Amino acid sequence: MSPRLLGIACLAPAAAVFGAFWLLPMAWLVVLPAAKGWQTYLAVLTHPRYAASLANTVGLSLAVTMATLVLGAAVGLYLARTRFAGRRVLLSVLSLPLSFPGVIVGFFVILLGGRQGVVAQLAEALTGERITFAYGLTGLFLAYLYFSLPRAIATFTAAAESMDTQLEEAARSLGASRWRIVLDVWLPGLAPTTLACGAIVFATAMGAFGTAFTLATKFEVLPITIYNEFTNYANFALAASLSIALGLMTWLVLFAARRLGGPATAAGV
Amino acid sequence: MNRITRMARATATAVVTSAALWLAPALLGANLAQAQTAICYNCPPEWADWASQLRAIKSKTGITVPPDNKNSGQTLAQLVAEKASPVADIAYYGVTFGVQARKDGVTTAYKPSAWNDIPEGLKDPEGHWFTIHSGTLGFMVNVDALKGKPVPRSWADLLKPEYKGLIGYLDPASAFVGYVGAVAINQARGGSMDNFGPAIDYFKALKKNDPIVPKQTSYARVLSGEIAILLDYDFNAYRAKYKDKANVEFVIPAEGSVVVPYVMSLVNKGPNAANGQKALEFILSDEGQAIWANAYLRPVRASAISKEAQSRFLPASEYARAKPVDYAKMATVQKAFSDRYLKDVQ
Amino acid sequence: MTRPRAPLLLLITVLVTVFTVAPMLLSVSAGLVNNYSTGLKSGLTIRWFDEVWANYGDTVARSMLLAASCVAATVVAGVPCAYAMARSRSRWMRLFEELITLPVAVPGLATALALILAYGQIRGFRQSFGFILVGHLVFTLPFMVRTVASAFARPELQALEEAARSLGANFRQRFLGVLVPAVMPSIVAGSLMVFTLSVGEFNLTWMLHTPLTRTLPVGLADSYASMRLEIGSAYTLVFFIVVLPVLWGMQWLGHLFEKRYGIH
Repeated sequence: MSPRLLGIACLAPAAAVFGAFWLLPMAWLVVLPAAKGWQTYLAVLTHPRYAASLANTVGLSLAVTMATLVLGAAVGLYLARTRFAGRRVLLSVLSLPLSFPGVIVGFFVILLGGRQGVVAQLAEALTGERITFAYGLTGLFLAYLYFSLPRAIATFTAAAESMDTQLEEAARSLGASRWRIVLDVWLPGLAPTTLACGAIVFATAMGAFGTAFTLATKFEVLPITIYNEFTNYANFALAASLSIALGLMTWLVLFAARRLGGPATAAGV
Repeated sequence: MNRITRMARATATAVVTSAALWLAPALLGANLAQAQTAICYNCPPEWADWASQLRAIKSKTGITVPPDNKNSGQTLAQLVAEKASPVADIAYYGVTFGVQARKDGVTTAYKPSAWNDIPEGLKDPEGHWFTIHSGTLGFMVNVDALKGKPVPRSWADLLKPEYKGLIGYLDPASAFVGYVGAVAINQARGGSMDNFGPAIDYFKALKKNDPIVPKQTSYARVLSGEIAILLDYDFNAYRAKYKDKANVEFVIPAEGSVVVPYVMSLVNKGPNAANGQKALEFILSDEGQAIWANAYLRPVRASAISKEAQSRFLPASEYARAKPVDYAKMATVQKAFSDRYLKDVQ
Repeated sequence: MTRPRAPLLLLITVLVTVFTVAPMLLSVSAGLVNNYSTGLKSGLTIRWFDEVWANYGDTVARSMLLAASCVAATVVAGVPCAYAMARSRSRWMRLFEELITLPVAVPGLATALALILAYGQIRGFRQSFGFILVGHLVFTLPFMVRTVASAFARPELQALEEAARSLGANFRQRFLGVLVPAVMPSIVAGSLMVFTLSVGEFNLTWMLHTPLTRTLPVGLADSYASMRLEIGSAYTLVFFIVVLPVLWGMQWLGHLFEKRYGIH
């Protein structure tokens, strides 16, 4: 078989699945808003409520991504450098939340920060006042952090393990301070991983629905807005338009990360 | 080839083969749940004691109706999405959603044998929807969770700062009980179906008290004390009090409230329409209606309610404050209200 | 290698560990006590598990089988696809690569709605697991493909393949005898990812499921909303008990391959 034909044969199953079960249905969805007029596509920009929701989602996702990258890198570096009994177990426990559906994470935050939560009970014992954070922005942020950290920790641990320690040794022997080492050795060494990991964390945070659904916060994110439109007398055209906007935004970020990062990043995103 | 690769190969083969054997019939469309099934959208086991009703349907008619946890808005949306080839046979939702469902063409006409027992105004003339039971909206209060604060007695009470963080209400834009709450507040505070201003103002004022606004039934959260005061129906409160033995009290606000019917429809072109009809028949039969009565709902066929169940309701003098409204009008203005709520209050 | 003490990193690691583990422990304990508000004083019990089993028992096997099928399907479709991607330099291949990651960017609700609108009419398909499986497939395929493609692209592997070809091996022999064993660690890593994603998938599944095809995450969401806290917690514990061994098993397998084969 010629290499060309071989290539096509290898590609065929995946292409068939993807074409039939995503491309085609999406084509249907993309033309849906047109039924209500061309301006429906721009609804996310023209309606203040949708624009606010999009801004909320992007802002939250960015904040979560930043926090996750910093914390994940810190933990990854520590776990890569230190050996202690149970390290392997700790790593697998820390990556466990990757398998959790968003609803579990919402439930956990309620267990921690709801009215009957641990923090409320502790606060009541200490100060007499119940501190509840589960249903506000704090709760949502912590929940998003909860399901984003495992991904960062797993990625950064692997990356830190394969980082070249000779550079660091050289810098240290030349008298570089800890802070200088962070800036000149760690950051550049981990840059491709950071970009790739950050993009995936951002994409996941943008599309997260189950967590916000369980927590029912006032802070409205776009997936919840889409759900609202969907259940508000089956307003599919608007739901489709908002979905397209969200998808486009997320894809742009993933694309930009791939471009900026080059081949090393591309593999991870 | 070494042991590991052989092991991996064997595992992979086993997985693929078993998956294929298991999936093939499913993919080829064989019905997984055999024989007598009827799919209901929005039959949550913990709501209105549907669990008992579903069990009774199974034992008396042999039809299995799996429980389903959608709310009214999700039910309608799903029915419309699946219009070309429905998954559900019957649907349960608030009256306004029934009216809209007929407009969207997802229901079909069916008059069960107890048709004449259902009062006018509580059923669609052609049978696209009909009431099975009603409830009255009020405060479902977990007294223990209030930690000594007085139980609120009026809508105005809820606005007091002492109740901060203790209040919850279902989302008026997607859950029927949420919308009913809004209508009740509106009527009680001087508004009308044409003017939802008072309700919107009330919700805005309520925001200062940090309410929790879930989208789906939150019975469990009241029991656990997570939500101390929930705008919910009398039947949920009585159930918590008498069945689950929780320290829950039901309050009909002093300014007044509303009584609303919940309806069911036969889905148009449902897969098991005959079974759906049998299930509906049972729900409207004496036995089915008695189950609602024992769960503290008002069955639409009033003859079914027993003295003992009646004694557990609040006295009739309290219920005098809860009035029915023009449900058809309520349906017409729902979408506008939802939009306004999402715009002004969210 | 010298290991300078890093108190800040240690502190962060400890905090993150507590943050991650505390809710899990809380939830586990909530599922085992008689009454959450009273706490341990109310005594330990397993009666919540009975209720979970009665109400949601079917969801466990369903989710596991779904995830396993998803892994099998992504391996069969994804590994050859990854090979083609790693070996090709054409623009079309790059475009295809971009396309298959789109399902990750688009919200699950939208993909689900699109599937219902496009294929909802085929009644048998709509009510079967195949419908949910297909949704999981398009979402998880890019993860498998990308992981394995980066392994295939390694220059050592290309050299190995060339050597085999020059020795007269045909494509089937090269692929199954040389390439696949060499990227086995990647395949296992990809499978782990796919399994994890599928077993926890909620966004898509919530819209695609019917009352007869509920999965574990959908059941969990139901139980949190309408059942007692203890039942929700017990159900979460069931999720742990069922998913953890599989994850650990796959991780162990991955380590085994890594030790044997080095290229990953």
